[in-house]
Amino acid sequence: MTPAISLAGLTRRYHDQLALDDVTFEIEGASITGLLGRNGAGKTTLMRTIAAQEFASAGSVRVFGDSPFEDDAVLRRIALVREDQIFPALRVRHVLRTASWFYPNWDGHLAAGLLADFDLPLNRFVTRLSRGMRSALGIVIGLASRAELTLFDEPYSGLDAAARQLFYDRLLADFAEHPRTVLVSTHLIDEAADLLERVLVIDRGRIVLDAAAEDLRGAATTVSGTTPAVEEFVAGRTVWDRRRVGSQASLVVAGALDDGDRARARRLNLSLTPVSLQQLVTHVPTGATRDPREDSRA
Amino acid sequence: MTTWIRVARYHLVDPIAYLVGPWAILAFVFLVNLVITAVQGGPNPTKALAVVFLYFFAIGILSISRSLPFGLALGVSRRSYYTGTVLLVAGLAAVDGLALTLLQVAERATGGWGLSLHFFQVSFILAGPWDLTWLTSSVGLVLLFLYGQWFAIVRRRWNAFGTVAFIIGQVAVIRVGIVLATPTHGRTSVGSFLATLTPARLTGVLAAIAALLIIGGLAIVRRVTV
Repeated sequence: MTPAISLAGLTRRYHDQLALDDVTFEIEGASITGLLGRNGAGKTTLMRTIAAQEFASAGSVRVFGDSPFEDDAVLRRIALVREDQIFPALRVRHVLRTASWFYPNWDGHLAAGLLADFDLPLNRFVTRLSRGMRSALGIVIGLASRAELTLFDEPYSGLDAAARQLFYDRLLADFAEHPRTVLVSTHLIDEAADLLERVLVIDRGRIVLDAAAEDLRGAATTVSGTTPAVEEFVAGRTVWDRRRVGSQASLVVAGALDDGDRARARRLNLSLTPVSLQQLVTHVPTGATRDPREDSRA
Repeated sequence: MTTWIRVARYHLVDPIAYLVGPWAILAFVFLVNLVITAVQGGPNPTKALAVVFLYFFAIGILSISRSLPFGLALGVSRRSYYTGTVLLVAGLAAVDGLALTLLQVAERATGGWGLSLHFFQVSFILAGPWDLTWLTSSVGLVLLFLYGQWFAIVRRRWNAFGTVAFIIGQVAVIRVGIVLATPTHGRTSVGSFLATLTPARLTGVLAAIAALLIIGGLAIVRRVTV
């Protein structure tokens, strides 16, 4: 099966700044993948490069097996919804009408429903929309396009929690009916966690984590208790974070725990708390591309 | 081909910018000049027709600075976007040029709208036979659009530094041209050419420049990022 996205050694350099550093991964078939990372980590550059809006300094980008650069046949299968999208001086209805001409799988009924859901004014100029409304317009285009590869780059900037939940719900519902490849970049990780089947974490232009979201749940644990007991428990394990307050310690350890570990923790009177996806991403050591599931006791 | 048509439809989805705008502004400026001429009296060879050409310059800039980013977001290649846009504007310029020609004919027939106003007749460049006026005005509209596009393309490709270099380069070319065309250099090919320049030859020069701008623009826009 031809991967929807195939990146090999993708590098993007701006003078002395490395925005993307040897990025390599593939996404095959219908799935929702999260591209997670801090501001400036390289999420937008990566998405723009996949959609051929930016150029690679080195490496290759393949979308459905072909280079997207200046290839209309490939490009029309891609929809990129950007947080910082520049629109011409058009009204909302003009923007949507235009989008309907370009995307072969455009669903006008879905667009109309989403417009009503987000309460977007059809006759208002896009340049006069609030930030949140502009984000909502991008979401409408991204979902209604039903593009085979849909890239959402921080799509809900300026949207309130209710509107963001609306996006998650509509995306999941439409994905269930029309499976396709969706890549969503976000820093609201826990909020989007339930959407994601796979997680890519990018840090300083490098992919530092690439794993199935399900596998990541429980892939790291916060161990809390008295310092000696905690240190005894974590001996030989990979520790991502250490915090101490007085005689108490709280450490984040990588790797899944088994029943024996839990029994041992009970004996030591320790508290075990699963690390959320958000915390996990925060604790992934930078500069080391690895899957935390591979971390194990020595 | 269909992508080019979709690009053209994208520009025309709101007819204000490309269809209504030039004529609304031209109508306003024309009325102002008509009133001024009526009040002041006498022959009035205004150059205010330039406003429609400047309008094309402005939408040329916007076609790259504002419309291109969304065009690429819609899954269009830069080459298709550029080609579709230029073909649309060439078609519009032909229609608009014909309209300007017909208005010039009407102006002549009515003695400058009864007021000796020369609004659609511009000395030397738009003062010849109707077919030359049509050709020259059409070429001029396309050229100004392309020129505007170039400013925006250079800005997107090489940022502010490139724009400044682009302007300095043009000034240098013009300065060299002036030096070569002065009587001292009257025997140079440039000076001789300018001395024998007719409106028809000038139109040919403008068309050649437009062709170069299209070829260069197509090459550079392929490396533009949004």
